Amino acid sequence: MTLHQIRTVIAGLLLFAVVLFPAYAQEEKTSAAMTPELLEKIRKSNNECFACHSEEGFKNPPKVEMDLVKLRTLVQDTKAFNGSNHGLMECKQCHGQGYNDFPHEAEASAKLSPCEECHAVKVLKIEMQFDASVHAVNVKEKFTCNTCHSPHIDLIASKLIDPRKIVAQDNRHCLDCHDSDLQFAKFAPDDEKTLLKKARPNIDTIHDWLPNTRRHWQRVRCIECHTPEGKGGKILSHQIMDKEKAEKKCLACHNTNSSLMTRLYRHLIKEEQQKLGFVNSVILSNSYVLGATRNPLLDAVLMITVGALLLGLLLHGLGRIVVRLMQRRNNHG
Amino acid sequence: MAEREYLISLWIRVWHWINAILILVLTVTGISLHFADPNLPLVEFALSVRLHNIAGVTLIFAYLFFVIANIVSGNWWQFVPKPPGIMQRAMAQGRWYVIGIFKGEPHPHTPSKTTHFNTLQSLTYWSVMYLVMPVVIVTGLIYLYPEFAPDQLFGYDGLLPVALLHYLSAAVILLFMLSHIYLGTTGKTVGSMFKMMITGWHEH
Repeated sequence: MTLHQIRTVIAGLLLFAVVLFPAYAQEEKTSAAMTPELLEKIRKSNNECFACHSEEGFKNPPKVEMDLVKLRTLVQDTKAFNGSNHGLMECKQCHGQGYNDFPHEAEASAKLSPCEECHAVKVLKIEMQFDASVHAVNVKEKFTCNTCHSPHIDLIASKLIDPRKIVAQDNRHCLDCHDSDLQFAKFAPDDEKTLLKKARPNIDTIHDWLPNTRRHWQRVRCIECHTPEGKGGKILSHQIMDKEKAEKKCLACHNTNSSLMTRLYRHLIKEEQQKLGFVNSVILSNSYVLGATRNPLLDAVLMITVGALLLGLLLHGLGRIVVRLMQRRNNHG
Repeated sequence: MAEREYLISLWIRVWHWINAILILVLTVTGISLHFADPNLPLVEFALSVRLHNIAGVTLIFAYLFFVIANIVSGNWWQFVPKPPGIMQRAMAQGRWYVIGIFKGEPHPHTPSKTTHFNTLQSLTYWSVMYLVMPVVIVTGLIYLYPEFAPDQLFGYDGLLPVALLHYLSAAVILLFMLSHIYLGTTGKTVGSMFKMMITGWHEH
């Protein structure tokens, strides 16, 4: 190893030690170090923001000179925020500079703390996946984490647990744009031929091959099919795949070895107890998935019944043939 | 008695064979869907869904036609086992299938214009057509439009009891179909009853 190579390795290790590890540690300690006193301090600090940035604040603005039209777009659901991923953090943690005084600085939003300031390890991993996704290919410059993930509302799947809540939250990320011409137009790339904004493909039309399409969207996430099969990591891949690459094999989910168990239901995998004798019974609380949620005992009873009937009919038929042959032999004899 | 007698109307024969084809398609695709397995593909899943849906909807119309035509033509009366001695006749028929057929005994029932079916046939056909078929059709319809299923039932997806009933009633129809096809060989000759269901003429 040359001196230059040794220097490079040491620099890499230092970068990891200085940047990534503290960021990772901060991610871990957010909820672990919470005390009632600290929570009260956070709530008190956040209430100063919610005095304006909440439904209540909007209805009764504490200052007369406020731009209510602009404020309307900046109102937050306080209850949803308090239950979200960032609900135990001060608003100031991200909205640090430029937000202390009113009116806030004109460029304050540009000074927002980037996600990687806390989520460095995640972002590093996700960025590589995102770079291979359809969004990076078409509209990378317009995409940030916030484009899909609402930092004021979202809660990670491992905390939401309930598959219906996970589906409702995660599909909203996709359908907010892909089921709305207005939102889609904000991100749509220009069409190479017409040089006009690409029109939003009708979400139902492009999924018309999928039976009970809307029912699927209520019960599973778009990303079950539109992300590649992972290796069981902590988070699902952020490589969103377009319709050409997306999973179209129904059997990926609709069989006893259903991929749903390593995706949507992976946070409930420990609860799988084969209730009522069904395999993948944990899915049954949310959906009956044809081919995946089967009762092997019932299947066996029915197969044995059909088998026994066929055997009985076969023996009956053979008996008739034998009797007929014997009768013929006797008649000829 | 004449050697052959015209017993089965054209509309019954046409309905019967359409129904037979639909039930066969529904059975094969239904098995493919329920036992979906990448290692044992009977009919490809998406194709099975399409075929099962089309055949299922067609079956609804075929069944409605069957019920209405039976009422209008009075053929529904054929399905009603007539007293007295229903049990004795059913026992005699059962005994013939188990023992008499091997001894070359004559068939205990001779079909006629007024009584097409033997007692076991009328009991079975009535049960299958008026008890089991409505269950498989209604549950199949709910399966097709799952928004009509209850959202949740006892902590499980409301579609679970619908799916179970559909599966069980379909299994009963499969068992009936297998028996029905086999017992179709117990006429005067192995093929005579199949021939009757094509031509309408029964050979005594």
